[in-house]
Amino acid sequence: MAEINKELEAKAKATFSAERKEDIVVLVIAAIVVILVVTGVIGPKFYNSLFFK
Amino acid sequence: MAGGGIGVSYSLKDLPKILPGLILCVVLGWLALQWDASMGELRKGYRESEAILKPHLELGKPIIPYEDYVKAKEDTYKGALTLYQLGIEKVKPSKPYILPKEDYEKLIQDKSPAFKYSFAERTVQFQLTYVALLLLGGMLIRNTVGVPKIFQPGTIAARPIIKPGIIILGAYYMWSDVLRVGAIGLVLVVAFVMGTQILISIWGKRAKVDDGLNGVMGSGVGVCGVSAAVAVAPVVNAKPRDFFYAIGTILLFGTLCLFTFPYIGKALGMEEPVFGAWVGTAILNTAQLVAAATWYGHGALLTANIINIVRVGFIPICVIWAIWYFIVRPAKQAGVDSGQKVSAIEVIKEKFPIFVLGFFAMVTLNQLGVFTPVQKDMLGRDLLRIFFAIGFAGVGLNIAFEDLKKAGGKAFVIGFASATLKAVLGAIAVMAIGAEAFRVK
Repeated sequence: MAEINKELEAKAKATFSAERKEDIVVLVIAAIVVILVVTGVIGPKFYNSLFFK
Repeated sequence: MAGGGIGVSYSLKDLPKILPGLILCVVLGWLALQWDASMGELRKGYRESEAILKPHLELGKPIIPYEDYVKAKEDTYKGALTLYQLGIEKVKPSKPYILPKEDYEKLIQDKSPAFKYSFAERTVQFQLTYVALLLLGGMLIRNTVGVPKIFQPGTIAARPIIKPGIIILGAYYMWSDVLRVGAIGLVLVVAFVMGTQILISIWGKRAKVDDGLNGVMGSGVGVCGVSAAVAVAPVVNAKPRDFFYAIGTILLFGTLCLFTFPYIGKALGMEEPVFGAWVGTAILNTAQLVAAATWYGHGALLTANIINIVRVGFIPICVIWAIWYFIVRPAKQAGVDSGQKVSAIEVIKEKFPIFVLGFFAMVTLNQLGVFTPVQKDMLGRDLLRIFFAIGFAGVGLNIAFEDLKKAGGKAFVIGFASATLKAVLGAIAVMAIGAEAFRVK
């Protein structure tokens, strides 16, 4: 039982460490997008230009 | 979620492993958005056809020749543009949609919109948007032809790509909205989400379900799906079997909600903010609730996002509750020291989903007037869809029937019944509170 518990604890720690890393990546991606929009690198026509009409 | 990417870490080392699946999700996401763009364009044709037919069918007026129709549209546009240039009208008029000649002539002949236009209109009536295509299509692929192993890690890693979308959606909110809807959301979360966890814990104890299974099921079904279950598992000495039962139940319930709630919401006549509040309370997983809310409409998404932010903030509290209920309390009752020292600050520091801070930063930037209205729409409508589409492709491709079959046993009945009760009571509560309280202006 103690071994299984340790295993799960290790899985929980690994999961939350991976989630922390994932959250940081997500924050960086969002920040880059916001900077590109605010500085005008991505303009209002960008989204529609990705698709065929 | 919060951590939709369980089992896959975001690191350069893992990039070759996740890249094929990520590319697959990007391609599927693009195809689904292309579908939406095409249907959106065709719907313009439907609306235009209806507008042309209306005076003819209702008042018996003749339909004018195509050249006159084009001229009338252009003249109206030029007139509106002149008013804008003179400063009389504040909003710049957009170019008018003009029906192609062959469709116009067919319209005169048939007295009904062309099939392609009617088809596009039907897809919207049946809510067959990019969200439905990605979820249903992904699920179909996963459970028929299957997802080759090379793509699997990437499809799991694609799910958290929804999160940058949640963050940039913050450009739409003022702090007054977040605090107003968030305060009601807090009451709903405490009442329904924490309430479910407490109900399952007590009911499970009485039904003599193992503490391990009971604790994992309570936190998973009550608060935040798989993440909360993983967080609580070591606290309650859960066995791997308990863990699979709980996750099976969470996934089964979430999947059923995802595909039925938008239709139930429509059938009950729920307005978008009410639906958003409902899914924010009742659906257990960030990706699934964001998908259901997006499926319903942008107003639903704006409300659901705030409730979800409040809900995921409750993961540390759910862990603290599990430690107290399953470890500290029984030890105190038995008159022994549990040996468990709980540092609330440590638990919060370790388990708090920090992406939420990005959302708050966006709300603050909007409050400070950093974004123009056009930029807000770009962030909160257009670019958000790109992130959501990639994430939803990952969600759809990871709905595996074999995972859902893992749900079972007495705890499944308790978990499923409690989650259903939460959903029913939640629906009654949010409908009673009404749309205005949940509306993000």
